Amino acid sequence: MWLLPAMLILAAIACSIPLSAYFTWLMEGRYRAPRVLKWFEDLVDTGPQDWKQYTIALIVFNIALFIFGFVVLSLQPYAPLNPRGLGWLEPTTIFNTVISFLTNTNLQHYAGETALSNFSQIFFILPNMFLSASVGFCALAAIIRLFRGAEKCGNFFVDMWRVCMYIYVPVALLFGIIFMQQGMPMTYASTEVATTLEQGSMGLDDKGQAKPQTIVVGPVAAVIPIKMLGTNGGGFYGMNSAHPLENPTATTNFFTTLAMMLFPFALVLMYGRMLGRIRHSVVIYGVMLAMMIGLIAWVIRTDTMEPNPGLTAHAATAWQVPSASAPSGKLDVPSPAVAALPVNQHLGNLEGKELRFGTSAGAAFAAITTDVTCGAINAEMDSLNPLSGLSPMIGMWLNCVFGGKGVGMINLLLFLIVGVFLAGQMVGRTPEYLGRKVGAREMKLAMIALLVHPILILGPAGLFAATGWGTTAEANPGAHGFSEIVYQFSSSSANNGSAMDGLGVTYGLNANASPSPEAVPWDIATGLVMLFARYLPIIAPIAMAFSLGRKKVAPVTLGTMSDDTVTFGFLLFGTIAIVGALLFLPVAALGPIAEHLGPIPFGG
Amino acid sequence: MLRYFAKSFALIAVAVVVTCGIYPAILWAIGQTVFPFQANGSIVRNADGAVIGSMLVAQPFTKDEYFQPRPSAASYDATASTSSGYAPSNYALRDRVARVIGPIATYASGDKKGQAVAPDVETWFQADKFGGNPHIVAQWADAHNSIAQAWVTGDPTHGAFVDDWSKAHDAVVQDWIKKNPATPQPKGSDLAVVFFENFSNDHPGAFPSSVTKTGADGKPATSIEPVNTGSDIQSIFFDMWRSDHPDVALNDVPADLVTASASGLDPDITLENAEFQLDRVAAKWADDKKLKVDDVRKEIEAILQDKAHAPWGGLIGEKLVNVLDVNLELHKRYGDPA
Repeated sequence: MWLLPAMLILAAIACSIPLSAYFTWLMEGRYRAPRVLKWFEDLVDTGPQDWKQYTIALIVFNIALFIFGFVVLSLQPYAPLNPRGLGWLEPTTIFNTVISFLTNTNLQHYAGETALSNFSQIFFILPNMFLSASVGFCALAAIIRLFRGAEKCGNFFVDMWRVCMYIYVPVALLFGIIFMQQGMPMTYASTEVATTLEQGSMGLDDKGQAKPQTIVVGPVAAVIPIKMLGTNGGGFYGMNSAHPLENPTATTNFFTTLAMMLFPFALVLMYGRMLGRIRHSVVIYGVMLAMMIGLIAWVIRTDTMEPNPGLTAHAATAWQVPSASAPSGKLDVPSPAVAALPVNQHLGNLEGKELRFGTSAGAAFAAITTDVTCGAINAEMDSLNPLSGLSPMIGMWLNCVFGGKGVGMINLLLFLIVGVFLAGQMVGRTPEYLGRKVGAREMKLAMIALLVHPILILGPAGLFAATGWGTTAEANPGAHGFSEIVYQFSSSSANNGSAMDGLGVTYGLNANASPSPEAVPWDIATGLVMLFARYLPIIAPIAMAFSLGRKKVAPVTLGTMSDDTVTFGFLLFGTIAIVGALLFLPVAALGPIAEHLGPIPFGG
Repeated sequence: MLRYFAKSFALIAVAVVVTCGIYPAILWAIGQTVFPFQANGSIVRNADGAVIGSMLVAQPFTKDEYFQPRPSAASYDATASTSSGYAPSNYALRDRVARVIGPIATYASGDKKGQAVAPDVETWFQADKFGGNPHIVAQWADAHNSIAQAWVTGDPTHGAFVDDWSKAHDAVVQDWIKKNPATPQPKGSDLAVVFFENFSNDHPGAFPSSVTKTGADGKPATSIEPVNTGSDIQSIFFDMWRSDHPDVALNDVPADLVTASASGLDPDITLENAEFQLDRVAAKWADDKKLKVDDVRKEIEAILQDKAHAPWGGLIGEKLVNVLDVNLELHKRYGDPA
């Protein structure tokens, strides 16, 4: 039960130490590449950039990648490697998908095996996964250099080249080999047609012939390593890492889960190493780790160690709800007693879980994937027990429990600046971070970046919950339907990409005769949310770091707040908990908590 | 700015060469030479070389001679993996589970220990009283509107039957329209609840079900008729029977027998689930091949033990068996089912 998550965390910690040393060595430019690679470095190099040039280069590059993605995805019907003759995706789905992969979100309003050819998987998905994963990494590196007071914060294109080619590609190759050995397909073929052992068990076709089982295969082992390492999360198959060809064994599940933890863990330590403040980064690391352990433990406790309440007995209860038509203003709604179905649930809630990963693997994965904003899933989020659903949502709401590569650490810096500011106010001292005074300008930039996230979740979620866009798309009744809407926007805004799959947001191929009725507004709304939630919280912190970095370093005195103590850790944790709870407790109460307290089963 | 665009596209171009060309090609070369079985999808073939399936992907088994995989929300379609998406609070989940359990549930204690519950469900259904009130089918449709509607839309013959009924019961339909002025032209599914109420009144203790009979021309013909026994009664109404008999001790079924996996393609079941199915499988093979049940049971039990495996040797999970693996072995040993 607890062995698997414990091993995952220990392995991630152990790997993050040497990895962070390697990242630091690389990002400090101490690696002297062989002549061939150096030639490419020089090819993309535009010389040292100040923070504005670096930011513009980042934006220009993302525009270029958007254009590239749009063109490639639109080419699907004309491109090779498409023996099934798959046509276009619906236009708004292309818009949503291109943004989704550009922003490292990988929210998928289509099912991979149904809608994408191997051409699209290779030429659209793969480069997007490698490149978008590198962007956040580079932004963090730039922020660190600015914090050190440097006028020039490196060159964006050289940083991108190094991160992508010297880090992601070799590590992805290593993981790819492990995955293939365990059973992940790696072929340019598209399908295998199986007659099945019991002929006719798939049913009969129009002519009365036994239907075969068509199995989609492809270059899965190339996509999955970078999907996890880059905390991208966009599955080759619709059901992502729950699919047996995308995650064949307990071993692949272990390495898949570990892969998404490696870089977010290591980047926190890289922050400390590059700033020369390792103890400070260890405190941050500890706070993040404590939050992650709490969120994993919560979901295992409530999902793996509890039965699915839909199948158990419930006593009769009565509910009083406000009603305008009732004479007393209140209406009594009785909920009759429910008998237990004879199901042995000693393995916890098995609806929407796969068996081969281990008992607590689905629950642990659900917490980790949302903490590190990966968004891959190996169990159905919709079918988690009501209270368990809180853990993935909290991970996305806080968005800094390690968080995405680079951006998670950047988000934490925002909370940290707010925390330092609050502490400074309490003792009546000008707040300082890294010895530099935090002024109004830095606070404004930090608050802009911090508030984008809740606004982009709560605003659209409220709009969709109040209109047919949301209510038609809900696949489950009552509070859970609301949870689905909140989850979708949380996932979009956190650039996570996981989803409660019941929500009807899939249009799929343009030729699809029966798409989800509200797919188009969902495509557009989540597309825009992903876009804003990605770039504002990267650009504003770079500006903040520049503004802070320019200031003089004040000498350390007795009154200086030390940022490498346990006390500081609690301050940081308290800030995150209070700000997070103030922002999101109401929706948590309306969604998962209401579902837990309300009648189960609800409606009929 | 233009320079940045040029550099951006240069970087993308190089990245395409490396990540779309070289990187997958290296993996492909390693996969196809070192792990050819895995890299092509763990495909198993029969003696003629025809593809039977993938060892990693569940395929359906309907015959009682074979072990059955977990329920699949994807109908085992390996081009469209999906989960049920049912929240625990969704009645559709409970309904689906109850329908699987109904026909196989057995008593855990008392005089009837070990015997099937299904005949008692039928007797209870024929008496047509639930919670002390008459008309089970009407109460069922009232309490579970969406399930009643799903019955109408789930099968074209059901829809046609309700359409015929609505033509014959114009007064009832007009009455419904008066109460629901927003829907002046109701479809079959809109009328589902009133249809079942009306049906329950006309046919107490019966439910509309497909019945196949030999017609006058000697060909089998299927029609919808009121029935009071059979699988529809045992499955659809098990949950209500259970509400009327909450304290009767029943034998638990393994959870993975009734819960759908996340992908709809989970190739494994727990060993516990396989043992639960063992009696049925052994009895059927013994019957088919004229063998002694006990011998067959022992043989298949040995196969299960032999094929059982646990994630990381049991450190992190329960013992499982791969359904296709076991069924291939059964097929090898006993040949085709009757």
